[in-house]
Amino acid sequence: MHSEKKMTNLRDTWRSDDLKRHIQGGGYDEDAARRRDRARRDEEAKAHRSGASVERRHRERDGSAQERRSHGDRDRDGEGDGNRERRTHRDLEKDRDGAGGERAGSRDVRSHRDRDRDRERDRRKDSTRDRVADGDERERERRKERERDRTADARQRDTGKEGRDRGQERTGNENRDRERRRAERDGERDAERHRRRAEGMGGGERDRDRRRERGGERDRDRDREREHERRKDRDPYADRARGHNAKHLKEGDEVGDTRDRRSKREHRRQKENEEYREQRRREKEERDRRRTAREEREGGDREAGRERRRRERKKEEEEEEEQCVEEEAPPTTAKTKRRSWDPSALEKEKKDAEVGKVTSEDQGQEEDAEEEEEYEDDFEDYEEDFEDDEEAGSGGDGGGAAREEVEAIRRAMEAENERIGSALLSPQGLEEGDAPDPAVSRHRPAPKGKFIDFVAAKHREVSKKVAIKQKKRSSDLLRLIDLDFSVTFSLLDMPPLSEYDMYIKSFGTTNTKQAYVQCNEDNMEREIQTEEVETSEKWTQHPADRGAVCGGASLALESLDESVTSVNFDSQRLAAFLLSASQVVSVLLEEDRAERLSLGKPRTQEDGLSFSDGGLHLNPGVPFLRGREVALIVFSQVQRQTVLSVHRPLAGPSAVRLDSNTILCVWNIWEPSQPQKILVYESEVLCCCFSPGRATLVFAGTAVGSLVLWDLRERSDLHCNIRIGDHDWTLRYPTFSTDSVLASSSHLSSVTSLEPIPTSAVEARRAGLPLLSSKEESSGLSFQLASLDEKGVLNLWVVVELPQADQAGSQNDLGLKPGGKVKLLLSSSIITLERLSPGDSTDVGPVHSLLLKFLPSDSNHFFIATSTGLVAHGTRHGPRRPPRFYKPRAAGPTPSRVTSLDFSPFGEPLFLVGCDDSTVRLHSVATEFPIMEWSCRGPVLSGHWSLTRPTVFCVLDSAPTLHLWDLSQKDLEPTAVESLRSDSVTAMAVFGDPSKQNTFSGISLARSSGKIEIHYFNTKWTSSAPDELEKLESLLYGAH
Amino acid sequence: MEGSNAVGNTYVIRPNYQHKFKAAVVKECIRNVLQGALSGRQYEPQEVPFLSRSLADSIKEKVKETGLDRYKLVVQVVIGEQRGEGVKMAARCFWDADTDSYAQDVYMNVSCSDDCTQIAANGGRVITAFDEH
Repeated sequence: MHSEKKMTNLRDTWRSDDLKRHIQGGGYDEDAARRRDRARRDEEAKAHRSGASVERRHRERDGSAQERRSHGDRDRDGEGDGNRERRTHRDLEKDRDGAGGERAGSRDVRSHRDRDRDRERDRRKDSTRDRVADGDERERERRKERERDRTADARQRDTGKEGRDRGQERTGNENRDRERRRAERDGERDAERHRRRAEGMGGGERDRDRRRERGGERDRDRDREREHERRKDRDPYADRARGHNAKHLKEGDEVGDTRDRRSKREHRRQKENEEYREQRRREKEERDRRRTAREEREGGDREAGRERRRRERKKEEEEEEEQCVEEEAPPTTAKTKRRSWDPSALEKEKKDAEVGKVTSEDQGQEEDAEEEEEYEDDFEDYEEDFEDDEEAGSGGDGGGAAREEVEAIRRAMEAENERIGSALLSPQGLEEGDAPDPAVSRHRPAPKGKFIDFVAAKHREVSKKVAIKQKKRSSDLLRLIDLDFSVTFSLLDMPPLSEYDMYIKSFGTTNTKQAYVQCNEDNMEREIQTEEVETSEKWTQHPADRGAVCGGASLALESLDESVTSVNFDSQRLAAFLLSASQVVSVLLEEDRAERLSLGKPRTQEDGLSFSDGGLHLNPGVPFLRGREVALIVFSQVQRQTVLSVHRPLAGPSAVRLDSNTILCVWNIWEPSQPQKILVYESEVLCCCFSPGRATLVFAGTAVGSLVLWDLRERSDLHCNIRIGDHDWTLRYPTFSTDSVLASSSHLSSVTSLEPIPTSAVEARRAGLPLLSSKEESSGLSFQLASLDEKGVLNLWVVVELPQADQAGSQNDLGLKPGGKVKLLLSSSIITLERLSPGDSTDVGPVHSLLLKFLPSDSNHFFIATSTGLVAHGTRHGPRRPPRFYKPRAAGPTPSRVTSLDFSPFGEPLFLVGCDDSTVRLHSVATEFPIMEWSCRGPVLSGHWSLTRPTVFCVLDSAPTLHLWDLSQKDLEPTAVESLRSDSVTAMAVFGDPSKQNTFSGISLARSSGKIEIHYFNTKWTSSAPDELEKLESLLYGAH
Repeated sequence: MEGSNAVGNTYVIRPNYQHKFKAAVVKECIRNVLQGALSGRQYEPQEVPFLSRSLADSIKEKVKETGLDRYKLVVQVVIGEQRGEGVKMAARCFWDADTDSYAQDVYMNVSCSDDCTQIAANGGRVITAFDEH
């Protein structure tokens, strides 16, 4: 059964081929196909003209293809699909040309066929010509004849083949099931493809193309157009004719026929059609019957709903049969003819002019008339083609006759196709029926055994092999390869442009982009920086109130400090100013008051004192001085108006604190109302003196043997202030005291006399310095002080002023008061008592030194008054000068104390000695005995030279009587004697200014009541005559 | 295609390394072709079908020249006009991820002229399938 196998293989091949075609067909383009068709047609036309072999080959090929088609596509309606099939087959064939012995055989067959066909064609040409000439009658007859023949032949052939086919089919049935599956698949695809083709390709389109190609002959074109219309009308008919529904077919046929008749006036056709219809009806009935029978038979194991599959399977089977026929049947001429007719009858071959013509001729001669008529429609095109070609070759031919003939042929071919399609269905039924209906058997053989195409077979085999191989390969590979879906690639993602972008794109500047940037432009701040105005309230006042010149509520601390300092500064200056100014003012006020007082009371007193020019009282109203006895009154030698009074402490115990103290008062005689300074010391003061220059320092020698010192410059706040009554009093305690500090070197007995050692006027004059400057010098605090105590010890002190005061007190100088600046340093000490006590005065008792004076012209000489009435004369250094003592005239020592000792202020070496034995002696320095000696009424208290007249001196005795001597007038007795009544006078001092401008002089008297009276001398006693000094001298020396 | 009747499994299912599909190279090819053909061109609807087809062909030729042995190439060219509409294209393939790959390039004609007709070609997307034999 090799052949059977081959058959199946072939069928497989065909199927795969079909598949391929299907795949390729999808991409096909109608234009291209048409173009290709045209090219092929031309080529074939040429081939036809040159030789028959090519033509036959075509025919054979077409035959096989058409057969296939007729099997597979009973229900497909498109006409142009055959082109493709044919073409592919041809291509494959070309490839395979020359290979295989079968092909050689087939060629032989073909050559026979060709020959026949040529002949037939010639005949047909003739016949067409005849037809054109003779008319339709003849043609119709001939066709009938032919049809009759053909049916007879077919019947014969079918019956002959029947047995063979059946056997083959039975064996082939085994393969059938296997192949059925594939066939189904292929069939489906085929159907699909055909449908598509039918849609895509209309016969009209094709025709139009053809028309365009052959555009040269207008007449023809017109004819063809008409034909084309006819065909279009007929197409549905053809479809319907091929359909299974007989009724439907009939209707369609009728419609088509009427249309044909109307358009073409082919009356004969009607008859033919009727015949054809008749036959077809028969065929269809038979077919249906067969099918139903088969279905009944096979229905057990097959699904009833798979009609189509079944039909397809049937097709396959028929194919098988055909192939068997092809292979096994001997290439007899009859069979060849039939076979060669069959392909020509296929509608696919319509476009092949030669083949179409040949077949039509064959049809005309050999085949059944009915069949021929069936195919006539299909063949029309081919005839036309053929005619075109022929005309191109031979020229003038009757168009109308040819058309009619072609129409006939076409119809015949259609019928044939239908018949073949129905016949192909039959074999199965026959096979399985075993007892075929004679009618069926009569029709069945017609397509059978017609196509034995070895080339196609070969081709199918090869392609089948390839398909198998591919299938195997794919199945193998699919096991190895994993196919999977890839990730979805995003090929392009372009978001739509926004309206703004679009706008910018079309209207914006080229190559620029717009962008927004926020730069905070609108966020502006404005600021103005100004210094804050400082305001403060202040007030000011001039002159300042309590040291504050200005001030305010909101004064800052610093400004306060500043104001304080400024106040301080101002206060200092102010203090200085006030100090000076106040003195002046107070003096003026005092003067004013004194003036008023002097208008009253002094006047009365002046009456009592003949020498007085007036006087005043130093303030008796000071409370703590009341009741005190004034011990001493001392005038400053430089500041003549300044007077110091020493008030002894009160005797009895007193509740008042100051009563036990000695009070020293510094007065200015111009302001007698109150003392300027009040100095206080605890013990009794026996002697005191001012500093030699300005009256800034007050020295005092005390009864306890100490020296005390007051610095009047010290401010009042350093001292104790007490308030007595309405007045504040500043009580000044000593700045420096030698009390116990210098006890070893200090006086051991009460100090009786203090005397500053004068920088001698002689020296000053010698130095040529003016008096003032010498005063200045002396006020420079560089001076010495001599103190004499009772025992006759003369101490010399140096007054030292410290550069700076120490408020905390000095550790070295314990006698110095805190804040004090002046202190005393002991320089030397002289014992003068041996000298004072000569051996002859033993009976007098102890000799006390009482007074100390320095010679004004030479400070080296000092004179000490003693309690024996003698005045001792000594020098600090150098040889002692005679006389050692100044004695009274009365011989022998007298127990009289020298109470006063005073040198003449005019530089005369004269001194006045007063003694308590009421004698007054005038001594010259050079002589031991007095020049003159007077006696008073009582013990002399004090005797002083006048500061303004050199010849005048006054002596006060305790009577109290004041004696005034003017030596220029009388030298034996006092010029005036004034008895001072009322109180007793305890002290007396003379003051006066010898300067020429405002000469004044006077005496101050201290009353025992504590009053201090100041009396101015009247001019008689004040103003001196210019020759007084000479008179004094002449007096003194003349008296000798 | 010569049928050596399956003696054994002689299939080559992987390409040689030097013949492997390199997306970068192919992309360069595509870019060259697209740039040469499209630079300075305006979009004209009548021309575009032909243009895209010819572009696809030339891209295919170019890619074949790179020596992709046994690869089957599928080239797709889409040309569109840029008028602000959004476009979204995506592709998905059923393939053997080991051997098959794709390359794509987009060429956009920058319009310098005032009328905004321009060409945006989703240039030649080449999807290759390795054909194993």
